[in-house]
Amino acid sequence: MLRPLFASRSGTISAVVLVVVAVLAAVGPWLAPHDPLLQDPRAILAGPSAGHWLGTDNVGRDVLSRLLAGSTLSLVAALEAVAVGLVLGVVPALLSVRLGRVFEWFSLRLMEAFVTLPFLVFAVAMTALLGNGLQQAMLAVGILISPGFYRVTRAAALPVATAQYVEAAVLAGASPWTVLHRHVWPKVVPAVAVATASLLGASLVIVSSLTFLGIGITPPTPTWGGMLATDLQYLFQRPFGPFVPAALIVATVWACNGIADALRDAPGRPAPRKVTAHVG
Amino acid sequence: MTVSVAGTGWGTAAAVADPARPRRSGPLGGAVRWLLRTVALTVPVFLFATFLTFLLGAVSGLSPAGLLLGDSATPADVARVRADLGLDRPVLVQYVDWLSHVLRGDLGSSWLNGVSVSSQIGDRLAISLSVAGFALVIAFVAGTLLGIGAAVWRGRLFDRAVTAFCSVVSALPPFVVAVALIVVFSVLVPLVPSAGYVPFSQDPGMWLALITLPAIALSLDAVADIARQLRTGLVSAYQENYVLGAVVRGFSPRRVLLVHVLRNGAGPALSVLGLRIPILVGGAVVTESIFGMSGFGRFAADGALRGDVPVVQGALVVAIVLVLVANLVVDTLLLRLRPAARRRT
Repeated sequence: MLRPLFASRSGTISAVVLVVVAVLAAVGPWLAPHDPLLQDPRAILAGPSAGHWLGTDNVGRDVLSRLLAGSTLSLVAALEAVAVGLVLGVVPALLSVRLGRVFEWFSLRLMEAFVTLPFLVFAVAMTALLGNGLQQAMLAVGILISPGFYRVTRAAALPVATAQYVEAAVLAGASPWTVLHRHVWPKVVPAVAVATASLLGASLVIVSSLTFLGIGITPPTPTWGGMLATDLQYLFQRPFGPFVPAALIVATVWACNGIADALRDAPGRPAPRKVTAHVG
Repeated sequence: MTVSVAGTGWGTAAAVADPARPRRSGPLGGAVRWLLRTVALTVPVFLFATFLTFLLGAVSGLSPAGLLLGDSATPADVARVRADLGLDRPVLVQYVDWLSHVLRGDLGSSWLNGVSVSSQIGDRLAISLSVAGFALVIAFVAGTLLGIGAAVWRGRLFDRAVTAFCSVVSALPPFVVAVALIVVFSVLVPLVPSAGYVPFSQDPGMWLALITLPAIALSLDAVADIARQLRTGLVSAYQENYVLGAVVRGFSPRRVLLVHVLRNGAGPALSVLGLRIPILVGGAVVTESIFGMSGFGRFAADGALRGDVPVVQGALVVAIVLVLVANLVVDTLLLRLRPAARRRT
């Protein structure tokens, strides 16, 4: 499964970047030199120093500690959204192949409707109206990325479902579960793996956009997007303040895209269609 | 080995030779069929999307009673206000009622200040459309130029540069681009003001200066996507036999590109343009907040944060209609550009 990832140089770099970010997110809270919420009124908007490697923000909180704490939240949020999208996309896609035309028509139109929705506005509206919390945000993002999973899974499963060897298996008495497990699943998994990597990047962008707007995870809880929003207000005092959170977001998203490309270009596999991440 | 004889090439052939459908029909028959197909696909999507929008308000459990009456309201008061507004009826009945007003252009009025949502959106739409429209122009022009350039000089430095640019840009969220643009063009090199909006009628130069940064921020991702799709489409069109035939007949490279390659290879890029439109419309919510513009995206976000359901629903409906209309335009262009696209869906 993971071997094709390291076949190309960009795939290897992407995997390393993602592992580093994941480790930072996992152990970050213990590495952090300061409390991410602790305000130091003597050091406001300070530059890098021995005590504060990346300086402090507008109320004197340590930027490095906030970044580490924010990494955990941002990544966990994106992972949860992908998990929601995975379930909401893959299951209906497999059912649409099996359950007949009515279900197929409805699920296709519903997914088209999701794609038509102006993505970010809808995520903002849904999260805010349902109570403006992390869980609401993840549900909203998960629902909105589910068409990506749906399309990819359906495209992979449809040729299998109508293939002659599957017909033969059914005639030979294979149960639907066996068909799914033995024939459909091996074709669907590589496609879904590619989609998962690229949609993880996409949901990271959306989560960052939402937190940037103060939606989903609200201040003072640190997130990459939220820190960027604060930095933007003090741009004239710290013009390079937004650089580190922005670089973290970009590096992680780039790594996700790189992994998706490496998995897609893996030799010996039918090339799954590229998922266009619908992010605004 | 995964060679399957039955699977190669026959899937598309079956789609072409559909016996239930006449292969050839007159221009009028084609137009009617196109209209019917469009209606059959667009109307359900519109109904689903608006129903989701409406459901959002219903599921939220928010009601104007809470906003209007405050915390001291008794349950009886709340029930009375809800009954006055018809919120105690079944969701589907409310949806049909709401939709019938929407179709007549009445999006209701804000729960907070009672002002008509349609007129509020009308005031703000010009701002969002200026930015989104300009972003679309940038995406189209820059994406086309880069894509064609990369395909014509495939394998050369320009091609590799475009590929690298696309790879970097596709990892850049619009709001990061926006912040970077502000840092560079407003803080370090003060060329343009970092925020605000001036109507075109008031000061066209200032209007353009103010919408340029948000439009670039919004369009960069689309530029990369269109360039990449166009390059892929054109490169595969260049390998077709009819291109070889055209070259052999001695047509100029320009004529081969414009007449043969572009027409056949531009389809995927054009569909990407259609897919990008919801993103351009939706992206307004972030760019408008960064660049301090009071467009309709920000209007929707503020409304959502205040729990003003009609405002949110109205903004979403307008956005959905914009997206559907834009997709129709793209679909129509696609059909005119390449008759083969008719067989695709």
